[in-house]
Amino acid sequence: MNHDPYSWGRPSDAMYGQYNNAIANAPNTLEHHSSGSNFNENTTRPIVTGTSVIAIKYKTGVVIAADNLASYGSLLRFQGIERLHKVGKTTVVGISGDVSDMQHLLTILDQLEMENNYDNDEYSDNVDELQPSYIFEYLANLMYHRRSKMNPLWNALIVSGVDSKTGKPFLEYVNLLGVKYASPSIATGFGSHLAIPLLRKLADSEEEAAELTLEQAKKGIKDSMKVLFYRDTRSSKNYSLAVIDKDTGIAYDNNVDVEDMSWKFAKDITGYGTQRV
Amino acid sequence: MSPQHGSQPIQHQFNPYSDNGGTLLGIAGEDFAILASDTRQSVDYSINTRLSHKIKVISPPVTKEMKLESTDIVGTKNSVLFGTNGFSADGDALTKAFEENWKWYVHDQNSNVETGFEFLNENNEEKESFMSMQSAARNVQHLLYGKRFFPYYVHTILAGLDEEGKGCVYSFDPVGSYEREQCRVGGAGASLIMPFLDNQVNFKNQYIPGTNSTERRKIEYLSLDECLKLVKDAFTSVTERHITVGDGLEIFIIDKNGVRSEYHALKKD
Amino acid sequence: MAGLSFDNHQRNQFLQSQHNVSVKTTSTGTTIVGIKFDNGVVIAADTRSTQGPIVADKNCEKLHRMSPKIWCAGAGTAADTEAVTQLIGSKLELQQLYSKREPRVVSSLQMLKQHLFKYQGHLGAYLIVAGVDPTGAHLFSCQAHGSTDVGYYQSLGSGSLAAMAVLESEFKMNMTKEEAIKLAADAIEAGIWNDLGSGSNVDICVMEIGKDAELLRNYRTPNVREIKEKSYKFARGTTGILRTEIISEVEIDTSV
Repeated sequence: MNHDPYSWGRPSDAMYGQYNNAIANAPNTLEHHSSGSNFNENTTRPIVTGTSVIAIKYKTGVVIAADNLASYGSLLRFQGIERLHKVGKTTVVGISGDVSDMQHLLTILDQLEMENNYDNDEYSDNVDELQPSYIFEYLANLMYHRRSKMNPLWNALIVSGVDSKTGKPFLEYVNLLGVKYASPSIATGFGSHLAIPLLRKLADSEEEAAELTLEQAKKGIKDSMKVLFYRDTRSSKNYSLAVIDKDTGIAYDNNVDVEDMSWKFAKDITGYGTQRV
Repeated sequence: MSPQHGSQPIQHQFNPYSDNGGTLLGIAGEDFAILASDTRQSVDYSINTRLSHKIKVISPPVTKEMKLESTDIVGTKNSVLFGTNGFSADGDALTKAFEENWKWYVHDQNSNVETGFEFLNENNEEKESFMSMQSAARNVQHLLYGKRFFPYYVHTILAGLDEEGKGCVYSFDPVGSYEREQCRVGGAGASLIMPFLDNQVNFKNQYIPGTNSTERRKIEYLSLDECLKLVKDAFTSVTERHITVGDGLEIFIIDKNGVRSEYHALKKD
Repeated sequence: MAGLSFDNHQRNQFLQSQHNVSVKTTSTGTTIVGIKFDNGVVIAADTRSTQGPIVADKNCEKLHRMSPKIWCAGAGTAADTEAVTQLIGSKLELQQLYSKREPRVVSSLQMLKQHLFKYQGHLGAYLIVAGVDPTGAHLFSCQAHGSTDVGYYQSLGSGSLAAMAVLESEFKMNMTKEEAIKLAADAIEAGIWNDLGSGSNVDICVMEIGKDAELLRNYRTPNVREIKEKSYKFARGTTGILRTEIISEVEIDTSV
């Protein structure tokens, strides 16, 4: 294993590429690129990024959250970026990673929704309405296709929702490599290290998730967002939280703040070892 | 055309692969075959999920009569048990590609011969036909070799019944080299379990007592019950000693009655 | 020359440049934590040790004693954590005999960090140092390069984030000894279940002011292996005897 603590618990290099300090010093236009090598910047590394998305299933739905920050390297760049997106009637897609690639995905999802709307009203063929599983399948194929062209969309996505026909909660993950999986609780990036241990204490299996109440699930997500704000340097206090429930539909709050933090003990800590005052 | 395209190689530091851990195991018996895998999917030191499926049962429709025989049937005796281990995205893609081929093949085999072309079907048989394991294996070779220079990063194992109804296991390397075997382990636990299976299934290094290492123990088919015990012991053992193996064990058994599955919990640490 | 030799380091670098091979070290993949409570401090560790993806030891000890009431939890290269705590432990004892005073946690921390800094991170020892001394209970962490940190709760190792997630959500000031032990064990368990580098059991060491330190080896054992389906006993003679040689016993005269 890698003994360097800097690589412990960091999003793996394989997933996000090696952190490049040049990001903060990057020129604004491609023409100024000093080395003279011209290549598609976005496929090589992410530029403006969003950190973790976290989600958990409960008895009748899913709770999902992501903060509203977009970072430019270590710079806090945009504070009002929305990373949870409603698609169709019962799906929310949470996106972390490169923000421009995210916005590209959104235009694609918009088109997908629009096409579906044409065929899904009383005047037309009335085909299936978009289900979370359809949207996930589409995105997973897209992500794998792009990685296979060696031109990935630098994101990790969580598709959450409920199937409007069966009422079953849906939660799946796919990333820039096309790797996908389902689990009672899912998180991207730092969240997979910090939030997942907490969420798995609530529900480690589908059976346990089917016993969770909305309140328990919501509290688990809120506590996890607090820990992420404590410990992830690229996170923000302000975040969005969405609940997708089979009975009440999508309830969505894009202005939640981390609450009940405790920093008081810090006043008693001085120095880094022997210092007394 | 702008200068950035053309002679200069495109610079990438993107690695299109990842290792998602886990282990896959196949054993062929006299009139049955087993394909088993753990259900953990991991990357680096993190567990993605404790319940993922590395094995797909590719089967013709299960009829009501079969369900009556036994309720837990998940496939017919003509199924192909298709398992992949390694980079899970490639595993999923390969499984899907094969399933597609399998469906079209079975469809074409069974489609009615057009009037006037009966000579193509000499005996004009009505019998339904499926994909033999031999054909399935050859098709998988083509799928894998078709990506020779950008391989599917997976160890593939197929299990099923051959045309005589005998159990068979086919195993593949990432670029399509394959072999029919009595047993095979793929993935993270391969180096730990394979020697165990060599000894317990093919009786390697076992001699008949009293012959002083001159007469090897005769190879014989193991019973299904015996094989299942070996599979469970192999997985609980490899869970102890390999960090990417654990959480759950999924076993598929195919015999003349069809396919059924078993699940056993493994340690989650 | 006294001290450690870098010959092997140079050799390893050479070998790596030539053949792209490197010396494999046993690491304690590890989750370790330390927590202060109202009347002392507790440290805890998991018991898995790994070589790459293979589990080398299912029940190793990562809690080291440097003096009767100063203990250390180690992550990183197993040999380094062992050697460095033994070395400093010896120095502490000599110092105690010389000064006729109980060793202090700050002394051990200072000696550790100076030693580790000297070796510029080549000693892969990541330590949580804790103990009680005449000045009270103390808790520190120390990184391989020699940097140190103070806090009411610490976690280190590949499972440090899983453990820290639990600590951040459940730590409170002035816990009782029992509360602290439970929290430490819960934090280690988060590492055991969620980090592949950590596993098996929970070890705990409690250091309470005015009392002897107490090592609770295998305080929790949530990973007992189930019974095997089959016995793998071979019939006698399955492995034949190829050659027999009998060496007769010789009487050795031990009298002078």
